[in-house]
Amino acid sequence: MRRPIVALFVLFAVALCGSRARAGGIAFVINSGSASVSVIDMGTMKEVRRIPTLREPHHLALSPDGTSLLVGDTAGNQMLFLDPANGEVQRRMPVADPYQLGFSPDGKLLVVNGLLRNQVDVYDAAGMKLLKRFPVVATPSHLAYSPDSSVVFVSLQDSDRLAAFDLRSMTEKWTAPVGKTPAGVLWLNGRVLVADMGTDYIAVVDPASGKVLEHVQTGKGAHNLFLSPDRKILWVNNRAGGSTVSLDAATLQPIRSYAIPGGPDDMDFAPGGKIWITRRWAEKVAILDPATGSYETVNVGRSPHGLFLNPRAPSPTDVSSR
Amino acid sequence: MGDPFDLAAGWLQENLLIPALYQFGLMNWEDVSYGWALFAIYGVVQVLLTLAVCLPLERWRPVERWPDNGAVWVDVAYTILSRVGVLPLVTYVMFYRAQVAVSGWMADRGWVPPTLEGLFPVLLGRQVLTFVLYAIILDFADYVRHWLSHQFRWWWALHSLHHAQRQMTFWSDDRNHLLDDLIAFVWFGVVALLIGVPPLQFPLLVLVLRFLESLSHANVRLSFGRLGDRLLISPRFHRAHHGIRAAGDRSCNYGAVLPWWDMLFGTADFSGEYVRTGDPSGEEALATGSYWQQQRAGLRRLRRVFGGSGVRTVSR
Repeated sequence: MRRPIVALFVLFAVALCGSRARAGGIAFVINSGSASVSVIDMGTMKEVRRIPTLREPHHLALSPDGTSLLVGDTAGNQMLFLDPANGEVQRRMPVADPYQLGFSPDGKLLVVNGLLRNQVDVYDAAGMKLLKRFPVVATPSHLAYSPDSSVVFVSLQDSDRLAAFDLRSMTEKWTAPVGKTPAGVLWLNGRVLVADMGTDYIAVVDPASGKVLEHVQTGKGAHNLFLSPDRKILWVNNRAGGSTVSLDAATLQPIRSYAIPGGPDDMDFAPGGKIWITRRWAEKVAILDPATGSYETVNVGRSPHGLFLNPRAPSPTDVSSR
Repeated sequence: MGDPFDLAAGWLQENLLIPALYQFGLMNWEDVSYGWALFAIYGVVQVLLTLAVCLPLERWRPVERWPDNGAVWVDVAYTILSRVGVLPLVTYVMFYRAQVAVSGWMADRGWVPPTLEGLFPVLLGRQVLTFVLYAIILDFADYVRHWLSHQFRWWWALHSLHHAQRQMTFWSDDRNHLLDDLIAFVWFGVVALLIGVPPLQFPLLVLVLRFLESLSHANVRLSFGRLGDRLLISPRFHRAHHGIRAAGDRSCNYGAVLPWWDMLFGTADFSGEYVRTGDPSGEEALATGSYWQQQRAGLRRLRRVFGGSGVRTVSR
């Protein structure tokens, strides 16, 4: 009697191992210079295919319900909606100059920065209806929301300024100088952090007034910043210095610097603790192991920029080989 | 392993351009600088490839031999400026920003500028085929622009700088008046709005096209044969366009890469003659002046047209 039970147990274990081997997940990497999105099998670390876009995609955002991955094609004036589970194109929609984009924490609004058209567009997230257009002085680049979704902060890269827009009254709250070339923006512990690509530091800004409270040195050309999933580590990519730096998110004290040459830009966190980083001038994504400081690379297209990991998606290698 | 040209551009960007931009507080130009690095690397390869092929050809079977070929050097300067130097950077910035602004304005009004891929979705993902189709359409647009530049006296006043060279070589392709280049840029921008020209996703194909354009100006007795001359423009075919008897509105063979448009509109001349080049109606500075002397001479000729003193478009 015990033999069938043992056999069933073995079969179950084999099936479990098999399913684990296939559950690699999908990484989406936007190739701005190749007009495409690379679909990478996170299990095999190989590019499986490329999704063509029209002209020049840069950034992406997952819809609040998790059913669509929105990819902004700036020069194509098009928003591409992808299925985050398999990369299938759901639809394409005309949107003027969609550069950086992000949904509000409450999921109700989508803000789209028109970098070259000097405009910040606020859409109703559900219906994709344009609610408000804010003209700005220069090149709105990155954005971050306050946790209550009432304010969006936008860096104006060709100026020295950060702009804050009240999303309840749909008015501009303030525009204030924060550094030479403001780029990445992040809300952290009641403050707004702005990476300054023209210097080697990030500015800590008072969200109420726009006043710079302090500077935290990270490396030359501080470009983009991210919070780890456990919210304990702040990661900063330094464009000119070719490095990625970790800081204690509570104290902003530096922890460690990692050499990531080739223009480190966007970042996402894999479940096992590794960090994926696009390298703009190397046609590669670096997969950094923060414990050892070493990184593997995956070849992608020209000028890889936006990045999104969906570790729960089925392996695209298995899907494409069916 | 990535594309070696792209990686070379990345090296240039990381080790020379970014440190300089950072030093001078110009980091907001870093995206543009990478675009220029790509353009410059491909430009250098274009020039070297053209040099490696065309120079031996010109030595082997030259149409003309000149005891003093000093007038060629200014064409070298035009080429370097145009393919590697600052001109493509300015054009890139102007073109890119203008295109985004205008097409974005259209997108706001619900009118999406058409693209070949939009009209024929089957092309999405078939990038090489798409590029070839775009190249054919753009070649036709360039044929029309070039033909028009020979028909209007004011336009010919500018374009005649290109035709003034009596020592025409493979370096002569890029010798143009800056205003003529500007018109071509606007023309190209309008066409881009109508059909949606893709960015430089296929620099190797662009490199081949630019090589063919340079080769067509080479000082070499070379045709591609009866059939080949009807498929691609040869040095013999394009030389007829630059002939001294053909300067102005009596010219022929206006095509840049494909002779099809000349055949279609009756402007093709497939005679086997290798004619002398130049434009006797223009002042000498247009032919043998320095870069800036040629540019100023072009402006003087333009001013005379608008001043009513008259510049004949044809040398007879």
